[in-house]
Amino acid sequence: MGAYLQPDTLDEALGILAREPVTIAAGCTDLFAATESQSLNGTVLDVTRIEGLRRIAKDATGWRIGAASTWSDVIAADLPPAFDMLKQAAREVGSVQIQNAGTVAGNICNASPAADGVPPLLSLDAHVEIGAKGGPREVPLAEFLTAPRATVLMPGEMVTAIRIPDVSDKGESRFSKLGARKYLVISIVMVAARLHVQDGFVRDIALSVGACGPVATRLAALEEALRGTPLAGLPDRLQPDLIASALTPITDMRASDEYRREAAVHLLRRVLDDLTLMRSPV
Amino acid sequence: MTLSISLSVNGESLNVPLEDTRTTLLDLLREHIGLTGTKKGCDRGQCGACTVLLDGKRINACLTLAASVDGTDVTTIEGLAQGDTLHPVQAAFIEHDGFQCGYCTTGQIMSAVGLLSEGDAGADPERIREGMSGNICRCAAYPGITAAVLDAERRQSESEGTSV
Amino acid sequence: MSVAKPLPHDAAHLHVTGAARYVDDIPTPANCLHLAFGLSEIAFGTITDMNLDDVRSAPGVVTVITADDMPFENDVSPSNHDEPLLTSGEVNYVGQPIFCVVATSHKAARKAARKSRITYDEKQAILSIEDALAADSRFEEGPRVYKKGDAASAIGSATHVIEGAIDIGGQEHFYLEGQAALAQPQENGDMVVMSSTQHPTEIQHKVAEALGVPMHAVRVETRRMGGGFGGKESQGNHLAVACALAARATGRTCKMRYDRDDDMVITGKRHDFRITYRAGFDDTGRIKGVEFVQYARCGWSQDLSIPVADRAMLHADNAYDLPAARIESHRLKTNTQSATAFRGFGGPQGMVGIERVMDHAAHVLDMDPVAIRQCNYYADAEDGGLSAPRKPAASPPEDILDPKKGEDLASRGAATEVRQKPGDSGAEGQTTPYGMAVTDFILGRMTGTLLKTSGYAARRDEIAAWNAENPVIRRGIAFSPVKFGISFTLTHLNQAGALVHVYQDGSIHLNHGGTEMGQGLFQKVAQVAAARFGVGLEAVRITATDTGKVPNTSATAASSGSDLNGMAVKAACDTIRDRMAAHLAERHQADPATVRFADGRVHVGEESYSFAEAAEYAYVGRVSLSATGYYRTPDLSWDRIRGAGRPFFYFAYGAAVTEVAVDTLTGENRILRADILHDAGASLNPALDIGQIEGGYVQGAGWLTTEELVWDDSGRLRTHAPSTYKIPACSDRPDVFNVALWEGENPAETIYRSKAVGEPPFMLGISAFLALSDAVAGCGTQYPALNAPATAEEVWRAIGRARGQVRS
Repeated sequence: MGAYLQPDTLDEALGILAREPVTIAAGCTDLFAATESQSLNGTVLDVTRIEGLRRIAKDATGWRIGAASTWSDVIAADLPPAFDMLKQAAREVGSVQIQNAGTVAGNICNASPAADGVPPLLSLDAHVEIGAKGGPREVPLAEFLTAPRATVLMPGEMVTAIRIPDVSDKGESRFSKLGARKYLVISIVMVAARLHVQDGFVRDIALSVGACGPVATRLAALEEALRGTPLAGLPDRLQPDLIASALTPITDMRASDEYRREAAVHLLRRVLDDLTLMRSPV
Repeated sequence: MTLSISLSVNGESLNVPLEDTRTTLLDLLREHIGLTGTKKGCDRGQCGACTVLLDGKRINACLTLAASVDGTDVTTIEGLAQGDTLHPVQAAFIEHDGFQCGYCTTGQIMSAVGLLSEGDAGADPERIREGMSGNICRCAAYPGITAAVLDAERRQSESEGTSV
Repeated sequence: MSVAKPLPHDAAHLHVTGAARYVDDIPTPANCLHLAFGLSEIAFGTITDMNLDDVRSAPGVVTVITADDMPFENDVSPSNHDEPLLTSGEVNYVGQPIFCVVATSHKAARKAARKSRITYDEKQAILSIEDALAADSRFEEGPRVYKKGDAASAIGSATHVIEGAIDIGGQEHFYLEGQAALAQPQENGDMVVMSSTQHPTEIQHKVAEALGVPMHAVRVETRRMGGGFGGKESQGNHLAVACALAARATGRTCKMRYDRDDDMVITGKRHDFRITYRAGFDDTGRIKGVEFVQYARCGWSQDLSIPVADRAMLHADNAYDLPAARIESHRLKTNTQSATAFRGFGGPQGMVGIERVMDHAAHVLDMDPVAIRQCNYYADAEDGGLSAPRKPAASPPEDILDPKKGEDLASRGAATEVRQKPGDSGAEGQTTPYGMAVTDFILGRMTGTLLKTSGYAARRDEIAAWNAENPVIRRGIAFSPVKFGISFTLTHLNQAGALVHVYQDGSIHLNHGGTEMGQGLFQKVAQVAAARFGVGLEAVRITATDTGKVPNTSATAASSGSDLNGMAVKAACDTIRDRMAAHLAERHQADPATVRFADGRVHVGEESYSFAEAAEYAYVGRVSLSATGYYRTPDLSWDRIRGAGRPFFYFAYGAAVTEVAVDTLTGENRILRADILHDAGASLNPALDIGQIEGGYVQGAGWLTTEELVWDDSGRLRTHAPSTYKIPACSDRPDVFNVALWEGENPAETIYRSKAVGEPPFMLGISAFLALSDAVAGCGTQYPALNAPATAEEVWRAIGRARGQVRS
C-alpha cells in the first residue's frame, strides 16, 4: 500500500511532488470515476490541509481561488456579479454533498469536456497558477486544458490557485446548463456569459460553451463581433454561424452532435436575454 | 506500510488501521466499524444513500477517502437519536411516510439534517427539493420526503423561536 | 379495527434509525468469502480459450468456479432452462457471467475478476429489432395473435384511418439496494440462503437444482428488499446459486452483491417495444377496429418474456371497448441483457400503444383527447359493479400436461409448459379482445370526477391562451386512464399460504409467502391479522419470509401480494379464532358464533377476557393455537395460446391529468402539475396506497421521459451508471401533485374488498408523456409521433416533425 500524505504547507507538498510520482487528491469527487480503479497505486497527496490553499480573496492584481476551495466555498464567498455564473455553476455541480467536497481546481484538473466550472472560468479569463519546487508558473485556462482528461500539468507540479485578473471581474454574468434532469446531471451543453455594459453599449463580452467539443471554448469571433454594439437587441445579433464554427460536438449516449450544436445557440440566447433584461430600464 | 487514522464517530473516539488508501469512508463505516445504517447505493456519489455529516457538513461517504478524515468528526444515522428520542427529522420521516423500501432513507435523513443546518432553504418547498436532489429515492417517496423536511424545518425554527 | 387505517410502515422506526437490515448488513463470520463474476466482453460468439491463471493467483482469491465445477444443474433460468449460471461455450451478451471468483473480500474478488484472459470467436450479434426480424431470431415458433372480430375489414370500412409506429424504450430497475445474496452451509449438506428476492421459492428451487439436493435441504429467507420493482423476481437467482455453490465448495459463509455498474450490465431490464398500429374511426371518434403489431426485444434468454409479452397484448385495449381488434406479438431474441419483469409486466407497453392511437386519432379528428377516450370507454358497471352479474366459480382451471422434470412450476416463466383446458368464458356483454367480460368498469364516473377536481376544461382553455402568447415556452395537458388486470396470467400461481401462531401470552407470530420490498405488504397483512383477532398491531409480529415456514409460494409480483397473502392470513387467523371461540363457548355454554374478538378482548356472553387470557385458557384446554392458511383465487380460466378466457379476477382503475411545460427551442421540459384519482377498492391502508400511487406515477413518468438506455453498436450498454442513466430526483416530481383515492369497494371478494395497488399506478405516468405530446403537437400542424423516452432531445426532434422539418 502506498502512503497517504497530508502536508500542512505548500513547500512540503512541492517537496513531495519533486521526490516521487503521486496521485493528487482534494475533494475526491471525481477521483474514482476518473481513475476507474479499484485501488490507488503509489502515494496519495492530499492537498486539502495545506495552509492558505482554501482561500478565496482579492489581491492587487485580481482574485485568487485557492486550489482546495470547494464549490460550497465559492457559493458562500462574497464575490462581484461577474462571478455569478461561477456560483450558478457551483450550485449545479452534482449535489450539495458533492459541492461540500469537490473543488474548483479539481474540476479543471480532471479536464472533463463537461466540467461545469470551466465555461464560467473561461469567461472570467481565468489563469491557472501552478506550483513546483523549481518555482511557480501561470497558464491561461484555455491553454491549461489540452484535450479530454489532459492538461499541461507536468510531473512534479500541482495547481495552487485559479486567478481572475481584475480587468475581468467587471459586468454581470449568467450560466445555463442543459441536462436530462434539473440537478445531479452531467451536462449535455452548457454556456457561461459575462457582459460588461457601459453607456448602453457592450464594452466587453465573454461567451463560453462547454460539452460541445474536446474542451470548453470561448467564442472569440462572436465576442469580437458584438463588442462595441448597443445593448438593445443584443441577443438578436447572436450569429449562429460564428457559434457553430467554434464548436465540435460529438454524439454520445447523452445527446447527438446536431442537438448539442443547436441547443448551444438557444442557451446563449437565453443567458443574453437574461443579462439584457437585467440591464434594461423597466 | 500501514496507516491508521483517528476520528470521532457519533461522539466516540476511534483509532482505526487501514489496509488500503483506497478504502472509502463508507467502507470504513460499514465494514470496519460495523455501522451498516449508511448504505451503498451506487458507490459513485450519484445517489446519496451514503450521506453522512463530516464536521457537520453533508458529504457522500462513498467518495471520501477514509485516510482523509483523520482527525474529523463524523455523524451517521446511528448517532442521530438521543437514546430513545428520535431526532426531529427522523420523527418527521415516520409521520409523513417519507420512505417505502427504506434503503435510501438514512441518506435522505442525514442529507435533510445537513440541509436544515445550512439554513438557506427555509420553508420554501422548491429550495428543499433542490437541496434534496442529491438523494435519489427509486420508490419516489418524494412527496413524503419533502413534507417531512418542511415539517422538521418548521419544528426546528419554532423551537429556536421559543428558546430565544 | 386495524384495517383501512393510514398506519406507517411496520419497520418505520428501524428505517429511520438505520437499524433495518438488508442482506449486505447481516453480520457474517470473520472468514466469510465474497464473490464476483467475470463477464463477457463481447455480445455474441464462442469462447476459444479461457486463461484464468492470473485470476487464481490474484491476492485474496480462494477459488474460482467455472461451468466445469458444477456437477449438477448449471441453470438460473426461471423458465425453459436456457440460462446457464456460467457459460463455458457460447456467450450471448456483453456482461454475461463466465466464471465466478471466490475471495476474502468483495474488492479482492472484483479486482481478480478483471484479470482473465479470454479469447473468443466473435460472431455477428443480433442487437436491434430489425436484426432479430431479419434473422427470424425469436422465442416461440412465430408471432402470437389475439383476435376479436375482423379488424382489417372494420378498419377498411371506417371513415378515418390512422397508422403509425412508436418506439418505447426499456427501463433499468435501479432498486437502490443492488442484488445481493448470502449462503450459510449447514450440517448434512443443507444450505440456508438469505436473498434479496421477490421469489424465495424460486431461489430455493434453483439452489437445490444446482446443489443436486431436494428442496427440503435448502431454506431461503428474505426479510426485506431495498426495492424490487420486478427486478428481483428472477434476477437474484445467479447470486444465490453462486453463493450456495461456493459455500458448499469451501464450507464457509459466502456473500455476493453486485456493484452498481455490474448490476446494470448483468441484469435484465424492462422490455423495450416497437408498436405499429392501424386504426379506423368514425366521425364521432368511435373506434371501429384496430390492429397492433408489438415487437418486444427480449434479450438473449427467455426469462419471463413470454408472460410479459402476453400481458402487453392483454392491455392493448386499456379502457376501451374495441369492436374489432387484432394484436400480433413478436418476442424477439437479441444479444442483450435478458429483459425481465418490471412493474406492470408488459402492461404499460401495451397500454402506451392504445393511448398513442387515441392521441393520434384526436389529432386527426380534431377532437378533445378526453372526449375521444370517453366515447370509446367500456360502459360503467351499475352500482360500481357490485351488483354486476358474475359467473359461478369455475372448476380448477388447468391441467399440467407432462411437466418437464424439474420444471420450475412456481415461476411465471413456466407458462409455456402448462396447458390450460380450453377456456370458455361464455362472457356476455362488453368483452375485451380476449373475450373476458368487463363487469366492474368505473372509469366513466372516475373520469367525470377527476376532470372536475383537476379543473381540466378551464385549464385547457387557459393553456391554449398561454400558448397563443408564448411561442417559446409552451404548455401541454393530457388525461389518461388505466385499467389493469389483476391476477397472475399463469393461473396456478394465484395461490398463497400463511402460518400463524398465537402464543400463550396472547402475542401473535405471523408468516406468509409474500416479500416486503417497500410496498408495505407486511403492514397490511399484519393489519388483517390484528383485525381478525380484534387486537392492536403491537400484538402481531411479522417475521421474515421463509421457505421453511410457508412452502411453494408464488413471487411477490403481479400486484398480488396483499390480495393473496391477506386472504391466506385471514384463513389461518380464522381457524385459530374459531378454535378459541369454540373452547370459550363450551366453557360458558354459549353459541360459538356469539363469541366476539374486539378491542383486545374476547367477549363470551356476559363475560370478557383479555386476548392473552383467552389464549392461555385455550392453551391449558389443549387447543391448538397454530394454523396454516391457504387461499386460491376463484373464477380464473385462461388459454394463453388461443387468447381466450378470464385471466383476471378483477380490474383496478385509475386516471391522471398531467400538465407540462416545454422549452420549444431546446426540448427541455418539466411536469408542472399532476392530478390523480385512483381506485384501491376499500383501501387496507390509505397512507401506504397513496405512497404506491405517487411513487408509481413518478416511476412511470420517468420511464417515458428521462430514463434512456443506450447500447452501442457492439452491444455494450453505455448507460451503466447513475451518471448517465437518469431516474427522477426530488426536483423532478410535479410541482403540484394531488392524489386521491376513489371511494369504492372491490366488487370481487378480495380481502376486506380492497384492490391491488402495486403496479396499476405506474401507468398513470403515461399522462405525462401524452402531455408532452400535446405541447409538442401545438408547435406545428403535423402529428409529432413522439417516441419514448421523451428526452429533451426527442422532444426537440418531435417539435421539428410537428413543423415538418427533417432532423437527422
